[in-house]
Amino acid sequence: MSEVAVDAVEVPRRAAAAFTPAHRGVLGAALLVLALAAVLGPFAWILTTSFKYQIAIYSGEWPFTPTLANYADVLFGRRSDFVANVTNSLVVASASTAIVLVVATLAAYSLHRFRWPRWVTGALLGWTLVFHMIPVMTLIGPWYVAFRALGLYDTRMALILTHVTINLPMTLWLMRAFFAEVPPEIEEAALVDGCRPLQAFRRVTLPLVVPGLIASGILAFIFSWNEFPIALSLTSRELATVPVAIARFAQQYETQHGQMAAASIIATLPAVLLMALGQRFIVRGLTLGAVK
Amino acid sequence: MELVNRTFRHWSLVPAVLLFAVLTLYPTVNLVRMSVSTIEFTQGGEAWSFTPLRNLALLRADEVVPPAVRNTLLFVVAAVTIEMALGLGLALLVAGVTRGKGLIRTVMILPILVPPVAIGSMWKLLYNYDFGVFNQALVALGLPPANWLGSTSLAMWSVVAVDVWHWVPFVFLILFAAVEALPVDVLEAARVDGATRPQLLRRVILPLLRPAIVVALLFRTILAFKVFDEVYLLTSGGPGTSTELITLHLYKVFFEQNQLGYGALLSLALIAAILAVLLVGGQGVRVARA
Amino acid sequence: MNIRNLLHRVLVAAGACAVVAPALAQAPFVDVGKQPPITIVTPSAPWYPAFEKTVDLYEKQTGNKVKLDVTPFVGILEKMRNAVRSGQSPYDLLMINSPNTVEFYEGGFLTPLKEIDASFDVPKEVFSYGDSGWWNAQKRWRTANGGQLMAFTPLGNVQLLHYRGDVFRQAGLAPPKTWQDVLAACTKLSDPPKMYGFVARGERGNGIRYDWHSVLMAEGGDVARNAEAGDFTVIINSPQAKNALDLFIELMKKCAPPNYGSLGQGDVIQLLATGKAAMADVVVAATASFDDPAKSAVVGKVDTVPLPAGRGGARGAAIGNWNTAVPKNLPDAQKKAALAFSRWFLSYGAQRAFAEAGGIPNRSDVYTSDLAKLPAYRWFPAYLETQKFAAQDLGYAEGSQIDQILGLRLNQALIGEMSSGKALNAAAREIEELFRKNGRKTGSLPPLPE
Repeated sequence: MSEVAVDAVEVPRRAAAAFTPAHRGVLGAALLVLALAAVLGPFAWILTTSFKYQIAIYSGEWPFTPTLANYADVLFGRRSDFVANVTNSLVVASASTAIVLVVATLAAYSLHRFRWPRWVTGALLGWTLVFHMIPVMTLIGPWYVAFRALGLYDTRMALILTHVTINLPMTLWLMRAFFAEVPPEIEEAALVDGCRPLQAFRRVTLPLVVPGLIASGILAFIFSWNEFPIALSLTSRELATVPVAIARFAQQYETQHGQMAAASIIATLPAVLLMALGQRFIVRGLTLGAVK
Repeated sequence: MELVNRTFRHWSLVPAVLLFAVLTLYPTVNLVRMSVSTIEFTQGGEAWSFTPLRNLALLRADEVVPPAVRNTLLFVVAAVTIEMALGLGLALLVAGVTRGKGLIRTVMILPILVPPVAIGSMWKLLYNYDFGVFNQALVALGLPPANWLGSTSLAMWSVVAVDVWHWVPFVFLILFAAVEALPVDVLEAARVDGATRPQLLRRVILPLLRPAIVVALLFRTILAFKVFDEVYLLTSGGPGTSTELITLHLYKVFFEQNQLGYGALLSLALIAAILAVLLVGGQGVRVARA
Repeated sequence: MNIRNLLHRVLVAAGACAVVAPALAQAPFVDVGKQPPITIVTPSAPWYPAFEKTVDLYEKQTGNKVKLDVTPFVGILEKMRNAVRSGQSPYDLLMINSPNTVEFYEGGFLTPLKEIDASFDVPKEVFSYGDSGWWNAQKRWRTANGGQLMAFTPLGNVQLLHYRGDVFRQAGLAPPKTWQDVLAACTKLSDPPKMYGFVARGERGNGIRYDWHSVLMAEGGDVARNAEAGDFTVIINSPQAKNALDLFIELMKKCAPPNYGSLGQGDVIQLLATGKAAMADVVVAATASFDDPAKSAVVGKVDTVPLPAGRGGARGAAIGNWNTAVPKNLPDAQKKAALAFSRWFLSYGAQRAFAEAGGIPNRSDVYTSDLAKLPAYRWFPAYLETQKFAAQDLGYAEGSQIDQILGLRLNQALIGEMSSGKALNAAAREIEELFRKNGRKTGSLPPLPE
């Protein structure tokens, strides 16, 4: 097992060497800068919009007189419970991501590693995929009725459960793809060495799919964070999440762009922070067990 | 502990199956039931009647469906192709960076962090004819302003551009994770054996990335079929029917017009269409590789 | 005017006046006593802060608690549907947008207000807004004639013709009275891209349909010949309707920005607020924002008149009002509490407070009060005048489908995908098919030349 060392610094350097040819370095760098600019451009524009008065937004003023009024309205305004909304979103997204990662990763590993009959694998994968195709608006009615009957209407648990359900297909398929990248010889070697199946999974396979876990976790978190129709219908004002709060600025006849931009910026901060911390935590936690 | 290990095979699978079954059974059965019924609301309750033929007749007679299907296919093919190409390209590009990968990844995923309702509203401002940044830039360069969202020929591409901005990070994230997980020894062995970089790419890297590419393609395609918020906010399906997508029409039928039965049938038709496209695409890839 | 209203007015004139007038001066509010807490679902709208302030006043005056579940506009319909279709409604008062009222009335989801308390009445000073709160189940029509009182209007939105008073004065023009005046004025004032003479919504869907409907009314057109009497013969492709559509298209092509086919209400407001529009069709809910320096570059320069008249002298304005109703699936005590709040909200004191906080009051006596003299309320006369001829646009169960059919065809005619005749014929065909499927007595006119 000691050959399988996950070296945080050495591997990236060697991997990078496989990708960057010396003579294309400049072109590659230029393309990368272009891509980053294209991604950041509109985002930076949202940032400037959040500091503008409505009339400045309307007339596309540049330069403009900045104001904190939008942020004040979003954070402290009377119709706004934005801090509570962010808290709700954090709790729901974190919980549903944690649950879906555990459940889907275990299931994906099970399907990949243990020889289940084809109909079992096909049924689960196929069913999750088809369910993923169903437009969410048709699911809300029955879920509303069911949760209301169970007394779970307007609870965080209802949101967490539904978010786990809609994120399960993608997480399952993704983790299965990442497990498929692990050479089977490594696991065979572990078992021969005397590891039990659970240990082999935890100590050997799991550390190798850390990038996959990160990617799946980020996606599950984002989809839960940005989920709108279910959150709208299953919660009332106190438990509303960030997308619902932001949608309040899209009114019947016009959109309050300044407040919406401010709310969007505030909303991305905790998500970015959590993700940055989350990445480091997962990597550290898993590599601790791998290196003997 | 022994029991845990012996039954690991089972208890690793059961939670997912149980959770999923419990939460999806009722909505799915409900959906199928609705698709063959007409539901009317009277006296404070629902009245269901079994009318499969009537619903099918509604589908056949619906004049908005053919252009909606055409537009949706065009949108999906255009958006997904561009996103996959850009996502893969960027993943390979960033793989060659030695330091700052985490930072780049954080920057690259920013677009998907923004709630879709905000994306639609903000891009609508960017595309604004009189005051939007794009037209201001065009005018500053001496060019005429473009009718981004009001021209039947341009509107669809404006919407595709927003989708690309929004979802390339998704593809990038998955493929980049896959690239990071590539076994370094295999790559180095191939280089030592004398493989050139294009050969390395084609013969070693891409085949190893295949499972991740397939998943990214699969889910990106399904999500593209389901796109709603951005288009609704940007164009509402207009001008004319040039950006009418199936999901928009479904929203109008199911939700605004409250035709639950026909709407459910339309959803099933959408799922059938997605499956058809995936199967055809899958076959096409198989033929191309052979 | 129906018998009921007439009788009421006779009674008042006969002897109640002397009692009513001093009563109004002494007690503009209504004492509703102690009530259990209620929850109202309300849309997030520009008038929401004003509504919230008024509700605060209620809580302070009566000590009764009210919770406001402020919901995004896109989601309020779904929330209300879920609420009335489930076991017990979490909301005690609903706010139903006019196009959706028929769905709730016909579905039997609401309790008629007089069933909760037979003595409840909407004060006569409150505008009727086309009787959108009354439901005649037999005729399947919203009318007080033989109908039950299901809801009242907390917020009655109509469009007013907003124009730049300063620009008009400089050009020596009088505010337009007919659509022809509008065309003449806008052609004269148009100076693209610095100034667009006239802007209205052209975007596909409810946008263009709602803005055009007022022109249709002004030209004497309609969708069905006499829906209230049960005659659903489709007349949307009448010569009058074609005139209305041609006029609208001419206005947009000559005087609006080049992207007229995708203008939404937000775009229209933006053009007026940034000073680029000389005239605009805007809902009265947005009028106050033009005097806000944070939102407008033309503070104090925007004036309003009622929407203009058509060729025959008829005026038309489509009403887009919210309707407050009480769900059926509630315990009696909650229903009574909801009604108590409603009674309070409809009083003069409450409506005046609502107006002072920035809302749009629904009582004529507020519009004729001393508030009308203040510059911030200079739109009061136009609104009051509009109530004389404003009407509900699509009062049928098929309303939202017709809205979508027309919304598509009108937009296609506007952007030149088809001629106005062809668009109206196509719409007529589809609407007739729709009425026929729903068992209405329908027919059609001979098609227009395409």
